[in-house]
Amino acid sequence: MEQIRSLSQLLDYAKKIGAEKGPKKLSVAMAEEAGLLTAIDEARKAGFAEAILVGNGDKMKAAAEQASVDLANYEVIDERDEPAMGITAVTQVSSKKADIYMKGQIHTNNFLRAMLSKEVGLRKGKNTISHCYFHSVDGFDRIFFIADAAFNMYPDLAAKADITQNTVGLARAFGVAEPKVAVLAAVEVVNPDMPATLDAAALTQMNRRGQIKNCIVDGPFALDNAVSEESAKTKGIVSPVAGKADIFIVPNIDSGNMLAKGIVYFSKNETAGLILGASAPIVLTSRADSTRAKLLSIAAAVALSDFNK
Amino acid sequence: MTMYGIDFLLAESKKGRSMTLALACPYGDDALGAACRAQREGVVRTILIGDEGKIRSLAARDGYDLSDIPLVDEKDDDRAIERSVKMVSSGEADLLMKGLVKTSSLLKAVLDKDWGLRTGSLLSHLFLFEVPTLGGRVIGISDGGMNTYPDLNAKVKIVENAVACYHRIGVPQPKIAALAAVEVVNPDMRATLEAAALAKMNERGQIKGCLVDGPFALDNAVSEEAARIKGISSPVAGNADMLLVPDIESGNFVGKVLLYMTGGKGAGVILGARKPIVLTSRFDSMETKLLSIALGAVVARS
Repeated sequence: MEQIRSLSQLLDYAKKIGAEKGPKKLSVAMAEEAGLLTAIDEARKAGFAEAILVGNGDKMKAAAEQASVDLANYEVIDERDEPAMGITAVTQVSSKKADIYMKGQIHTNNFLRAMLSKEVGLRKGKNTISHCYFHSVDGFDRIFFIADAAFNMYPDLAAKADITQNTVGLARAFGVAEPKVAVLAAVEVVNPDMPATLDAAALTQMNRRGQIKNCIVDGPFALDNAVSEESAKTKGIVSPVAGKADIFIVPNIDSGNMLAKGIVYFSKNETAGLILGASAPIVLTSRADSTRAKLLSIAAAVALSDFNK
Repeated sequence: MTMYGIDFLLAESKKGRSMTLALACPYGDDALGAACRAQREGVVRTILIGDEGKIRSLAARDGYDLSDIPLVDEKDDDRAIERSVKMVSSGEADLLMKGLVKTSSLLKAVLDKDWGLRTGSLLSHLFLFEVPTLGGRVIGISDGGMNTYPDLNAKVKIVENAVACYHRIGVPQPKIAALAAVEVVNPDMRATLEAAALAKMNERGQIKGCLVDGPFALDNAVSEEAARIKGISSPVAGNADMLLVPDIESGNFVGKVLLYMTGGKGAGVILGARKPIVLTSRFDSMETKLLSIALGAVVARS
């Protein structure tokens, strides 16, 4: 497949999957908010998603009316207890009746607890679950994937290796055949006093020894020499990743969050996110996200689900 | 009072007596070009310290006019740095600028007990950036360049350095957002605890001349809409003048997003010494270098 280079292209690609192979099915926990239903309905109309909606039947009906969404197009499961909504929704995915687990108004703790359930959850062994932001930024010819800026707070090396592999899976689902992964720090040299630079060096070697696959990992990089070839050249860094990175592995949630939100608030960009590393893609959007951002997250989940089939 | 547009620094630097810039070892990185232009435009008066032959041939190659610029011939880098620092500590010059020498060599000289520029405070880096997507609003970041993992005491000094700078550039009560990944206090996230402590220290008058609040995530520090959705009511929310970042990685990332992904311009300066230090990178545009010199000159005029 051709590499997806912007989030508009991602939407077209999801439509193509829908048209050629049929829609993917979302299972939504507590689908009781109008904005969420609007996004799901747009994905349905675009032909790449259908959905099982789990939640309080009365509240879902009210939200659907507010959003002018016809619930006759969906399978609706009436469930009044919040923790049970999570379990019911996630069971649809683990039992293969649905392809994607999606969060509605349910509290994040209940949503994730269901996902981690030993019996009906979506854990893949001990694999770390991680979050990925993906951005198209004006002036750049490719999508930037940032992990983990939202889910794992202070991951150790083993977790970072999982996070890298999870994110590589998403980039490959977007048609990046061999993603270039830059492990970021504040500087591009190994400094014993800066743990991020040591983890970066270790991840590079793990990639060379085949412990992280299907990608080229290099680091440490400062952000400038990961995105700008000229900057890398001036610093004398010779690496296939320098200036060409697709994926940025960030040291921790503080720096990652500021990187992602810096892009969102300071550049001309389009941004969405996805939870990775489980046995199915997980969509976790916030109420503050625009309909478009929610739609893009669903499109990404559809692309990933199709790629993993 | 939110600041829009950063070019006022150029106008401000030209008022009153010209400040004198001591530029050490201007052999590359285009620092020489920036300093010559700053002199030509009346932003500062420049003195060059370094290997005269090298400097003259570089100027000839790149077409810089050195006729009005005093040049102190000193071939050895360390001695050139020492002479530059001494010019500033003796009052012969008002601000220092780094050419093509290691930052660590320059800072070692700046911190020299006998003839350096130390004050007992901490050196910290402040970066001001005019953000095009925010309508030209000027956002400050500290410290994305000097201090790696500052503790609470160091963060207090970083804020105090920045506040003094804001006062000099005409912002009497800067709004400072102590950033973390989230806007709630989380005992497992040190950045949120220190942000809360800094906010309280500000309330108790232990940090003066500014409004400090936190923790904030970046979105609710710069966007009133994002702050409203999260239900945060604070004079700093959405209106921050400066982002106090938890560590060098987060500060570096935010700074580099601004430099590499927005098409805007900025100015950076090192604070906390007796006089400001201008330290530009070879990747900075000429505009950013010139603005950095102007910022240094305005801060130097105390």
